[in-house]
Amino acid sequence: MAKIDAGVKFRDARKGDADAVTDLVVRLKRLNEEFDTMLKVRDDVREQAKAYVTNALKDRDSIIIVAEREGRVMGFVKVEILDRIFNEPGTEGRVQEFYIMPEFRKHEIGTELMRHALGKLKQRGIHLVSAEFPSQNRISVEFYAKQGFRPITNIHAKML
Amino acid sequence: MPKKNHDTEKYYRLAIRYSRFYGGKISVVPNVPVRSLKDFSVWYTPGVAAVSKAIERNSDLSFELTSRWNTIAIVTDGTRVLGLGNVGPQAAMPVMEGKALMFKYLGGVNAVPITLGVHDQNKIFDTVKALEPSFGGFNLEDIESPKCFFLLDSLRGKLSVPVWHDDQQGTAGATLAGLFGALKLTGRDVGQTRVVFFGAGASNIATARVLMAAGFKAGNIILVDKKGTLHPEREDLDELELHNPWKYELALKTNADRVEGGLDAALKGADALVAAAGPGPDKFPKGCISAMNSDSIVFTLANPVPEIWPWEAKGAGARIVATGRSDFPNQVNNSLIFPAMFRGALDARASRITDEMIVAASTELARYAAKNGLSEDHILPDMSEWDVYPAVAAVVAARAVEQHVAKRRMSKAWFHRRADFIIKESRSTLATLVKNKLIRMPP
Repeated sequence: MAKIDAGVKFRDARKGDADAVTDLVVRLKRLNEEFDTMLKVRDDVREQAKAYVTNALKDRDSIIIVAEREGRVMGFVKVEILDRIFNEPGTEGRVQEFYIMPEFRKHEIGTELMRHALGKLKQRGIHLVSAEFPSQNRISVEFYAKQGFRPITNIHAKML
Repeated sequence: MPKKNHDTEKYYRLAIRYSRFYGGKISVVPNVPVRSLKDFSVWYTPGVAAVSKAIERNSDLSFELTSRWNTIAIVTDGTRVLGLGNVGPQAAMPVMEGKALMFKYLGGVNAVPITLGVHDQNKIFDTVKALEPSFGGFNLEDIESPKCFFLLDSLRGKLSVPVWHDDQQGTAGATLAGLFGALKLTGRDVGQTRVVFFGAGASNIATARVLMAAGFKAGNIILVDKKGTLHPEREDLDELELHNPWKYELALKTNADRVEGGLDAALKGADALVAAAGPGPDKFPKGCISAMNSDSIVFTLANPVPEIWPWEAKGAGARIVATGRSDFPNQVNNSLIFPAMFRGALDARASRITDEMIVAASTELARYAAKNGLSEDHILPDMSEWDVYPAVAAVVAARAVEQHVAKRRMSKAWFHRRADFIIKESRSTLATLVKNKLIRMPP
């Protein structure tokens, strides 16, 4: 594994990052589409992504960390804080979106983004983190396994 | 081109008639005399048992005591035959037989066509692996992309004999040889030359990879496909990573200036264009060529009709034009590479064919062309220059020795003599059979 480029910065997303993060969300959704036809993206994916990101940037329960290099956002992670009404602990951070531009992969940037996000969760007294991603995405399966995650709930789907 | 179409029609008719007359192009001819039936006690049982036992003790002897040393398999699943597409394994056979004929005639190599009734890449892998004990090498042929990349890369790592995919490496080697000649003629340096590839199929992807092994800078290369220039930020990169990791790798490495747009954008300031984008003519506007640097080099390799006619390319400013056709000057022809490549690899008992061995073959071809005088219409030797085959085989074998992938570590001169002898013997055997009417003249 190559070391992280010294020029890469990790920080909370700001309002000004909305367009860049929207682009990455769209790329992520298109990537997910590759794994299952039930993840086919809608025609208006870009507008939806824009609204989604704009709302998340305002939402206290959304954490978005971006990786930035030379002023350009080239990766991000979005974590949503959720209540768990039946289980202990009573809250969890759910990694919902996680994407790094292809040319910056394999440089430990994903690990570092995750480390920053987990740090934020701990600061807020949250002690459980989960992640959602397409079941067929083996790169994600391996990544999370390496980070110490294990499967706890499966979501199965079929078309009616 | 009415004349050319007329010729093609004529060749079609003859090919059907001759194929029926001869019932195929190859057969097995014994290698040993049979003086009397007693000889079978040596060639077969009981004598042969001793040979079997010797090989059982040391399987490497299969390269000395059987014909394995000079026998390869031509393996296809018939999914991408010539420009015909997925014609299936039976229909692929005449093409593979033709290839076997060229292997024997130009390289003295016994090549056995094997057309497979399986298409799944893992099954093809398993089949080739299972065939390994019979052969001294494998030539993969006419297998669709990206399956062909998977097979070449995975088999190269797993087999102890050379594996070659001619549509990738043969084309890459011949193209590189032509580029070497063209660069020399136009006073260019490999490290500075900007090359644009039009079409990102098996041959252009392989050629780009071989060019990098030959010293071309990745950043100076741009690939253009139907969606435009390949670059690290293109929207379909994730899809490529999953389905065509070889193209994906090139998208990340090439196009340092991140040129976006189509062929016209890519060609601004380019020195060479290598088009393998499917039959033309008029696959792109000739004005694109005018945007290239002066003394530009255009290889337009689609068959049977190049992406742009050579005279159109020249009219638009190209100084050197090469095609895949034998009826135009500068034919970029796999046949200049594959017979000699296997001759050299087999003679050196190479365990694999490295990119450096391909570069060595290309360099030798270019050197050979230069020896007979480089010109705008002669950047490559043509197939009638017989001496080139043993010469290329010798540099391939010598390079294998240098790279420690050869079991037979002899000098280049030794390999040259051996290749020369085997190839001449192969041709004179055929000539003798024809002279003695054992092979009849066609009707």
